[in-house]
Amino acid sequence: MTPRRRAVLLVLPALVPVAAVVGAALVSAVLLSLGLTPLVGRPELSLDAWRAAAGDLGTATRLSLGIAAASTVLAAAVGLALALAATAAVRRSRLLGALAALTIPVPHLVGAAAMGLLLADTGVLARWLGVSPDAWPSLVGGPWWVAVVAEYAWKESAFVALVVGGVLASRARSYGETAALLGAGRWARFRFVTLPLAAPALGGASAVTFVYTLGSYEVAALLGRPYPEPLPVMAVRLAGSIDLAVRPQAAAVAVTTAVLALAVVLLALRALRRLSAWH
Amino acid sequence: MALGTRLGRAALAVWLLLPLVPLVLWAAADRWTAPAVLPQAWGTAGLRDAVDSGAGTASLRSTVLGLVVAALATPLGAMAGRALAGSGVPAGGAVLAALLSPLVLPPFAVALGLDVLLLRLRVPASVGVVLLLTVAALPYTTVLMRTAYAAHDPGFEEEARTLGATARRAVLAVQLPMLAPALAGAAFLAFLVGWSDYVVTLLVGGGQLVTLPLLVASAASSVGNEAQVAVLSLGSVLPPLALLVAVGLLGRRR
Amino acid sequence: MAADRPWDDVLAEADGQTVDLWMYGGEEAGNAYVDDVLAPAAAELGVTLRRVPVADTGDALDRVLSERQAGVTDGEVDLVWVNGENYAAGRQAGAWLCDWALDLPNRRYTDPADPLLTDDFGVPVEGCESPWHKAQFTLVYDSARVPEPPTTLAGVLDWAQANPGRFTHPAPPDFTGSVFVRQVLTSVVGGPGEVPLEFSQEAYDEYAPALFERLATLSPALWRGGETYPQSQQELDRLFADGEVDMTMTYGPATLADLVADGTFPETTRVLTLEEGTFGNASFLALPSTSGDSAGAQVVADLALSPEQQAAKADPGTWGQFTVLDTGRLEDADRAAFEELPASPVVPPYAELSRNAQPELSADWVSPLDEGWRRSVLAP
Repeated sequence: MTPRRRAVLLVLPALVPVAAVVGAALVSAVLLSLGLTPLVGRPELSLDAWRAAAGDLGTATRLSLGIAAASTVLAAAVGLALALAATAAVRRSRLLGALAALTIPVPHLVGAAAMGLLLADTGVLARWLGVSPDAWPSLVGGPWWVAVVAEYAWKESAFVALVVGGVLASRARSYGETAALLGAGRWARFRFVTLPLAAPALGGASAVTFVYTLGSYEVAALLGRPYPEPLPVMAVRLAGSIDLAVRPQAAAVAVTTAVLALAVVLLALRALRRLSAWH
Repeated sequence: MALGTRLGRAALAVWLLLPLVPLVLWAAADRWTAPAVLPQAWGTAGLRDAVDSGAGTASLRSTVLGLVVAALATPLGAMAGRALAGSGVPAGGAVLAALLSPLVLPPFAVALGLDVLLLRLRVPASVGVVLLLTVAALPYTTVLMRTAYAAHDPGFEEEARTLGATARRAVLAVQLPMLAPALAGAAFLAFLVGWSDYVVTLLVGGGQLVTLPLLVASAASSVGNEAQVAVLSLGSVLPPLALLVAVGLLGRRR
Repeated sequence: MAADRPWDDVLAEADGQTVDLWMYGGEEAGNAYVDDVLAPAAAELGVTLRRVPVADTGDALDRVLSERQAGVTDGEVDLVWVNGENYAAGRQAGAWLCDWALDLPNRRYTDPADPLLTDDFGVPVEGCESPWHKAQFTLVYDSARVPEPPTTLAGVLDWAQANPGRFTHPAPPDFTGSVFVRQVLTSVVGGPGEVPLEFSQEAYDEYAPALFERLATLSPALWRGGETYPQSQQELDRLFADGEVDMTMTYGPATLADLVADGTFPETTRVLTLEEGTFGNASFLALPSTSGDSAGAQVVADLALSPEQQAAKADPGTWGQFTVLDTGRLEDADRAAFEELPASPVVPPYAELSRNAQPELSADWVSPLDEGWRRSVLAP
């Protein structure tokens, strides 16, 4: 068997179901958004749903991108710090590794409930700090979506730590020790050994975080506000409308979300390809 | 250890733990109204309500679902990750992008036609759920295993081969143990995809699979259930954690 | 379909069937009633009743609509606890089985002319769903913080204006927020009966501007200066529980007793009955047209309508849901069971709560008003 053939055979079992499911999901959503598979009435090709949704799409897109970017930057920074602490050559913090592992299995729905209990006007934090609800900043449901970003950053920082830590654990210590033996200082070891080793994993995990945040609904719905709304919240609101004729608009918003996320994935892959360890 | 490092690590620990604190307190609270700093009445009402709502069987179902998804998505992701870490796959970049594409599908998009298609094709509900969740887990397992294989030094296997080991033996005795941490991480993430899903389990599963997230979501949709939600939530963190510890121990022993 | 079929045949077919009842799972008392009272009684009739808890009844409707689109005839949803919105949405797409609910034997205990049972959100019921309990849109206040509550909705709005930050309502299209906006509509135009129940664009253009103007004027005096709104009744309840606002509202007052008993709401929580009355409706059990166990579902719906089950469910210690039966039509012993029910410590009896009850505007009003509120008040 040629190596090429072998590689193809290795990839196919994953590729076939993925392509089938994603393809079917996208095609169904596009058909619905174009009025070809309505729940009521006759199928008819039209752009009405896209036109109707267009007004709010711009605001929703900007908000979604903003939330995803803020969450990703925070999650990447904290996650990297966690991974470094948990895999450090000297004084490795087992505790932080364990705590990060504790956070990963928390479903986002639960994380959102927890953040609400913590950050709301009358939440635990406000009570502990003795701040009255009026004086407490609007973290939950406020104009800056702080609680939403905090939840994503909290959960995803643990995910980033898991992915980056996995790579660093297997490689960094030996390289770091070699570099230390050769006389490299702490900063130099970080800059020239750890960071290049971690970069591909960090970039990959960040891209995953960004795209996940872009398409996720529960957290923004529970900790956000009714206007403006991010794309997924808008889509779910339209999909749940009492008027079934609005559903194609929900599909249009979902397709927009997916296309946006796909663009991010492609950009991330291009950027990652330039990094050394990522071919 | 430098003070800065110590402070930094303490801050990281607070970052990770703080959001869980209200949950832990609520789980043991029978009554906790604002502006009380701590619950006014401690008790097990939350636990009782959680058990009454069927948390026991639900977590069993969640566990099975998570394990099945992990059992499928981990090997598939490992195989794909291995192939993509090399240069043998034609149009490797496009294939990787395709394997990451489930990430771009918002979960609720399932309700916009895909569920109808599965029903039309008469795919049994449980098969549909497992298929969709495995696909949703594949980006995670693929990325993780691809990164691990890319960082993996094939020199050790070559050495084993030179020493007379068969290809299969080199994979089993050398490659897999070295990749055990990555495999465990991939399996864990795949498990969580099945363990924490709501939309697919409910809409494609047709309500036949009442898992823990379904209980959490419905209990969390109304006030007054905080203690129950907290117990259910902590209950949905503990089993994966136990699994993680078990996998970690297993990995270390090998 | 099921019309004129001898009930014994239905019973015989139902024997051995498993009925999946999809219902909102946020009400502990409701879950317990179904699991511990209704399901065992169904088991005695040979029907296994499975409760599927959902966070939003819309999820159940989604599943039924998908099954319907796929032409499934042995679907996984056999009964849904629906409100008027879900029912009306489902009717558009033929999601519900019709012509069965009027033939249930226990239906004889209801008043055939009861308007709450003949129309649901302005959509004729026509035997497409079986009544389960009655509900009344209710404002709720904390008597410790509002010692002298207003007595009309206009008074409530004035009170909110005079007490900045102490009142708000869920943002439509939340079910409760949407009802509140419609309730204000009937108030600002001069009282119930003024707005035609049937939707028309002319009626909307005539009446809606006054509504939005009133709410936009009120907005700066609401919680957080009206720059945002709670997204759901749950969020509003949370604000009320934490003392951030002094009033909340619900279309299901039955839950209040539980919320006060477990300390979520203060003991001084009271129901605000309005002079001009509020919207009343009934909630129903709908049977999807895709159900594969429709005989079993009919047996459960009939059982749920029986005097014993209705009385058990009306007990505030069980669930406290108002009966849909006309107690005047009951046997003496059954009527006595209702008369002996203990009073709820929080919720007044149905007769008091439903005084001057107003019929709901038709479902066609809902979307335009929700959308109009978003455009005119939320994001002008």
